[in-house]
Amino acid sequence: MAALLAPTTLWFLVMLIMPLIVILIFSFGERAAVGGYGGGFTFEQYANLPARLKAFQNTLTYAPLGTLLSLLVAYPLAYFLALKVDRRFKLVLLVLVIVPFWTSLLIRTYAWIYILGGRGIPTILEWIGIEGVRLINTPTAVLIGIVYGYLPLMVFPVYVSLEKLDKSLLEASNDLGGNSFKTFLQITLPLSMPGIATGCMLVFILLMGEFLIPAFLGGGKVFFIGNAMVDLFLQSRNWPFGSAVAATLVVIMLITVSIYMRLAMRNKTGADQSLM
Amino acid sequence: MSKNSDKQITSKQFMRQLWRYKRGSISRREFLGVTGLGMATAVMGAAIPSLLPQKSWASTDLGDRLVFSTWPNYWNQANLDEFTANTGVNIQVNAFGSNEEMLAKLQAGGTGWDVFVPTNYTISNYVELGLIQELDLSRIPNYDASANNPKFAGPATVNGKVYCVPKNWGTTGFIINSNKITSGPKSWKDFFEVTKGEGSGHTIVHDYQLTTIGAALCALGYSFNSIDPNELAEAEAVLIESKPHLFAITSDYQPGMRSGDAWMSICWNGDATQLHNDLPEMQYVIASDGGEIWTDFYAIPAEAPHLDAAYAFLNYMQDPAVQARDAEAHGYAPTDARAIALQPASLATDPILHPAEELMNGLEFGAAQTLTDPNRAELIARFKSA
Amino acid sequence: MRIYATVVYLFLYVPIGLIVLFSFNAGRHASELRGLSIQWYGKALSNPFAGDAFFTSLEIAFIVAILSSLMGTAAALALQSMKGPLRVILDGLIYISIMIPGIVIGIATLVALVTVFDFFNPLLATLWPEGYTPPKLHMGYASVIAAHTLFTMSLVIIIVRARIAGMDRALIEASMDLYASPWRTFYQVTLPQIYPAILAGFLLSFTFSFDDFIISFFVAGPNTTLPVYIFASIRRGITPEVNAIGTMVLAGSLSLLIVAQFFMRDGRRRAKVN
Repeated sequence: MAALLAPTTLWFLVMLIMPLIVILIFSFGERAAVGGYGGGFTFEQYANLPARLKAFQNTLTYAPLGTLLSLLVAYPLAYFLALKVDRRFKLVLLVLVIVPFWTSLLIRTYAWIYILGGRGIPTILEWIGIEGVRLINTPTAVLIGIVYGYLPLMVFPVYVSLEKLDKSLLEASNDLGGNSFKTFLQITLPLSMPGIATGCMLVFILLMGEFLIPAFLGGGKVFFIGNAMVDLFLQSRNWPFGSAVAATLVVIMLITVSIYMRLAMRNKTGADQSLM
Repeated sequence: MSKNSDKQITSKQFMRQLWRYKRGSISRREFLGVTGLGMATAVMGAAIPSLLPQKSWASTDLGDRLVFSTWPNYWNQANLDEFTANTGVNIQVNAFGSNEEMLAKLQAGGTGWDVFVPTNYTISNYVELGLIQELDLSRIPNYDASANNPKFAGPATVNGKVYCVPKNWGTTGFIINSNKITSGPKSWKDFFEVTKGEGSGHTIVHDYQLTTIGAALCALGYSFNSIDPNELAEAEAVLIESKPHLFAITSDYQPGMRSGDAWMSICWNGDATQLHNDLPEMQYVIASDGGEIWTDFYAIPAEAPHLDAAYAFLNYMQDPAVQARDAEAHGYAPTDARAIALQPASLATDPILHPAEELMNGLEFGAAQTLTDPNRAELIARFKSA
Repeated sequence: MRIYATVVYLFLYVPIGLIVLFSFNAGRHASELRGLSIQWYGKALSNPFAGDAFFTSLEIAFIVAILSSLMGTAAALALQSMKGPLRVILDGLIYISIMIPGIVIGIATLVALVTVFDFFNPLLATLWPEGYTPPKLHMGYASVIAAHTLFTMSLVIIIVRARIAGMDRALIEASMDLYASPWRTFYQVTLPQIYPAILAGFLLSFTFSFDDFIISFFVAGPNTTLPVYIFASIRRGITPEVNAIGTMVLAGSLSLLIVAQFFMRDGRRRAKVN
């Protein structure tokens, strides 16, 4: 039994616990004169955290908002695929949702720079008489990029939970005179909650550490914590402060995800049992 | 190609060859030949014959790769292709937007870079940190120190030792799209006024400390290189105030200017030539209240994995004809008088590249302390995340 | 509903279409279409750096997937019958390693390993016999594989555990009652039941590792993976060559999928015949 667990335990020790401890130690240190870690013990880095308040605010606003938007776009599609599509086309349509995932996220996001840039959608809007629309380097652009990038991650869990749904329940509800909206609210939606919970958590976790999408579509103006951290390590070479920001992000993640899981579990609707 | 190539290769043989190749006991060419992959490459390559590397002048084996880290839009692809054709050395170009980023990468170690392009103010720092090598000038016979203006080539020598060879020099001002910006800004003070006025939503500033903070300092009448905390605090206020009006914070400003999304940007003069040549409404301005004058160099990192190729590349790039072609592609002025002599008159007398002396009076070379000053580093990072 | 789905599929495929279209661009700039040509495919295929990056990514993803499925499955099996504080600690670690954003893993691993290397390299140099070049620890294959595996291993544990939970335990107990060795029980009873989960974990691990940018960006050292190579290419002004690489990767995975589909159908048919 111990032999089976040894590699995993070793991995956690070297690749998870040690790096986190190093980050924690560094976060109480001082920046060396030329950059990097300069030793010492101080709370200065944590005291300086308000200097990144905007990045934390942006992340904590756009991560939940992006998750919600992804869900709103994904749910009807998943519903359509699970309940409305002829069996013959189901597999093909499902695969078509994942295929975009197979070109690098970098290239796909870059394509949006052209679509949202001055010669893309704004030009098309000008033709139909709407002028002065700016999309690229705005929060809107970042949110579009987020929904685009993470849509498949949301569609799949929701699809799976809707697929498992007992269709006779829906029929029974309709037979008993419930209109289709009522059926949706009272039966479909609650039963698809596990899928929603799983999808939302997946997307939310990824968004909290997002770097690429705001970097490409935000033009350095819509800064996430991920961007602030890359900046601290790759431009200012301020390892201690970067470590403090990273440690804070980990704590925020632990708190939000724990609360989320607790809520989901208590409601019995549950984060998908298969995930945790 | 070896006689094996016309026989089918089994998967076992393929894996064996692959491991031999990985271990380095056979060359890439041999590997491709034996495994038949060469045929596939050749078929594709035949469509564009110039892509197939041919060894013709290399006297020693330089290997087949070189990793070259430089700035965006700062090389002539034809030169790199010719170097590859002549030596069999393929060049991977990495583009970086700032010296600070290059320093961060080198400090973390294991970059795999063979040659990179630092700016004057960083070199003494690199030497101090032991991140670059002293150059063996006997391996760069094309470099002629006497042809280079000491004003530009000076920073290459630290403590009497030569660490780099000069590439180009230039100025940092700003560019405007004169169709859109009509008030004719002349100084950094004007630049920040226009940013909040007619250029609102369409202005770009660089994403690293030296030029962006420097511009704000100049607008306030301070030195471009100031590290005085009070002056920096004032500069930060100028930047923060302009932030909502910016289109982007990036050093790769050409795409934005070209697409018409941006109308004004902090700009290096060679990029200004590139833009102006394609779009005449793009006008370069050397700010009357100061700014940067700089020299870029070629240097070899201490841990360069392909040293022989690096020296061959440096020597090739110092050839006056190659320098002239390089400058033709990116628009920056060479420091080497021999190369300038080979340039077409239009470039050698171009007012953007060779401004009148009196225009450059207020310009300053970046100072070494700005690179490592913690306040400047934190200021720019704070501004970006504000 | 159908219209809505069409709009979403358009949303998903317009950018992909642009990528493919521009990969056939004859011009130098990715943004302006100047006639059609396949020259960028030739360029991408004869570019040894793109090829290296592709094979590096492939190799790393493959090793990561194998390591994760082996260690993850082993751990999931062991954890199944385990109680007590160690179980709680390990569960917590699994949960944390899934939850920590990749960017933190990348940065923390970089900082920690650079520190460790800076400590060990001088030590190695002094211990090494005179006249030999001492080995030098640095970022590379091993650090990327180790960092990717942290996340994917936990992923496999979770997937496999869910499968074990849904498994018929009576079969295992029966096998034990019949004095089958634990290995034999595993091989003949447990494995056939959990292998779909292991396979799913393997594929997910592979995909994650192959497409990961942010962790590799920090810990890959001189070994450029494909996403890191693409990032660098994009920053030096995207040429259609990058689009060509993207299109080829897409075409490659699509054809793999079609082949897999074909084999699965074939297998099913044979199962029916038997």
